[in-house]
Amino acid sequence: MKMSFEDDFVEDDEMNMIDEDVASDSEAESLSDSDSENEITEKLAEPTKTAVYNRDGLLDKLQDISWPEDVDWTHKLTIEQGQAVDVNDDLAREMAFYTQALEGTRQAFEKLQEMGLPFLRPADYYAEMVKSDTHMEKVKSKLLYEKKQMEEAEERRKARDNKKMAKEVQSQKMKERAKQKKDEIESVKKWRKQRQQRGAGELDLEFGNGKSFQRGGGKKRPGVSPGDRSGGKGKPTSRMNNKKREFRDSKFGHGGRKGLSKQNTAETTNDFKGGFRGGKAGGNKRQKR
Amino acid sequence: MGKKRKHSETESAAPPKKDDSAPERPKRTLLGWKDKTQDAEEPKPAPEFRNKEKVLVTCSRRISFRYRHLMLNIVSLLPHCKKDSKVEAKSSKGATLNELVELKGSSSCLFFECRKHKDLYMWMVKSPSGPSVKFLVNAVHTMEELKLTGNHLKGSRPLLTFSSNFDKDVHWKLLKEMLTQVFGIPKEHRKSKPYHDHVFAFSIVDDHIWFRNYQISVPHNEADKVARGGLDKMTLVEVGPRFCLNPIKIFGGSFGGPTLYENPFYVSPNQIRALEKRNKAGKFAKKIKAKTRKKMHEISNPLEPDEFADMWKDDE
Repeated sequence: MKMSFEDDFVEDDEMNMIDEDVASDSEAESLSDSDSENEITEKLAEPTKTAVYNRDGLLDKLQDISWPEDVDWTHKLTIEQGQAVDVNDDLAREMAFYTQALEGTRQAFEKLQEMGLPFLRPADYYAEMVKSDTHMEKVKSKLLYEKKQMEEAEERRKARDNKKMAKEVQSQKMKERAKQKKDEIESVKKWRKQRQQRGAGELDLEFGNGKSFQRGGGKKRPGVSPGDRSGGKGKPTSRMNNKKREFRDSKFGHGGRKGLSKQNTAETTNDFKGGFRGGKAGGNKRQKR
Repeated sequence: MGKKRKHSETESAAPPKKDDSAPERPKRTLLGWKDKTQDAEEPKPAPEFRNKEKVLVTCSRRISFRYRHLMLNIVSLLPHCKKDSKVEAKSSKGATLNELVELKGSSSCLFFECRKHKDLYMWMVKSPSGPSVKFLVNAVHTMEELKLTGNHLKGSRPLLTFSSNFDKDVHWKLLKEMLTQVFGIPKEHRKSKPYHDHVFAFSIVDDHIWFRNYQISVPHNEADKVARGGLDKMTLVEVGPRFCLNPIKIFGGSFGGPTLYENPFYVSPNQIRALEKRNKAGKFAKKIKAKTRKKMHEISNPLEPDEFADMWKDDE
């Protein structure tokens, strides 16, 4: 068997590597075809005319290398499947490969079950895997990360929606309250008018229930003053410091007095050894609150 | 296994030294030991066919990281392979590689050749006289990618699935046979593991061979027993690697020999790049041409004098 190899090994020009006479015009033709179409194709527009296709030779070789016909299927484990699919549609292509493999496995499984051979790995069979454990850890952490991202995005969206809803509800309530207030005032006015008309002596029972005069329609809540920004759940003491806070705010602006934290006061100038070292908690300085 | 065998020895039915009491010494062929009785007319019990396939996996120098990882992945997928050191690029490749293959006693070889740090060519060769195929490898995704989440036993025998258009033409049939022999792990190989938990999928789409490796995951209790509905719940998780082979040529000998098949649609990546450059190169010339054309056109068709051209000139 001749073991010759063409010069192609050194240069990269595949097309010249043919036994027969090469009309390199045909190459140029096909190239210029694609050129004139002005598109770059991974595949030539038309097959080169010089392509070799030695069917008999191929068949001979096939015979040579094939395993004998009666070889047990278990040696080969090949299954055939298939449908046509378009190459450029990635998702469809991958689905096609997936279904091919899936169907093939099903068939193989049935065959193996007939032959009574073990097929799947039992849960307690531990052996070396093709990817190391550390690698699988990385994979898992990435999957978890992605899942977390998605969940967070969901939550954010939900929070936004909830806020919108809450705002609407809030505005509704405000409107209702305003309306109620108006109604009550109206009713009082009416009552007064009626009273005047009828005379002073009559007890009027048309008042309606006394409760309606309470603000908020009688809802029981711990007293919330309008200036309180703690959301209604704050402790009472925090409101008592309000006065102090107000005084300080008015004097120093919000945030307190600045810039005096490192200044000496009368007491501390002569104070060499005493007091807290290096600490601001010593009370010798006006604390920034 | 270092002794070089002459071709005549393997091909002739060498008169086996036999003892009539002991079983006949089987004939040595490409793949293993075949009982001589197989050639006989009388139906004897089926002979022991042992798949003694051994694959040698090497690469050329100056191979880039991605392709090297691909090669390592393939080495880990095939326990019947032997990885060898890098091969010098410019030397007479065919002879060197053939010698190497024989030296290691392997029956086939996968050689990865990386050109210009960009293109990967894969040679799949059956030794010593078998056909060889040169592929261009595209679309490589190695097992290390985090999106390929499956895992399987190292060395477990895969199920090989081929798409049905492998039977449509002779060269596909030959390729299918070669792929089966190279990628199929021999049955009782030392390093093979018993269960079948992964599948290889070879499909021909657009005249390329696409390779995928999936892990089979089925909820089950014991090795054989799968619940009735279990088969339907079978899912495949991709393990990787992934690549796409574009057959360039099939030769009659190993790493050379007469060309049996040449892919008519193959364009080498160098030509593609050259085409792109040529297209780009024309841009400037085209621009100049367009400019001169515009000038000529303007000269030949002068515009009518515009009535309103001087309207704003008087206002200062």
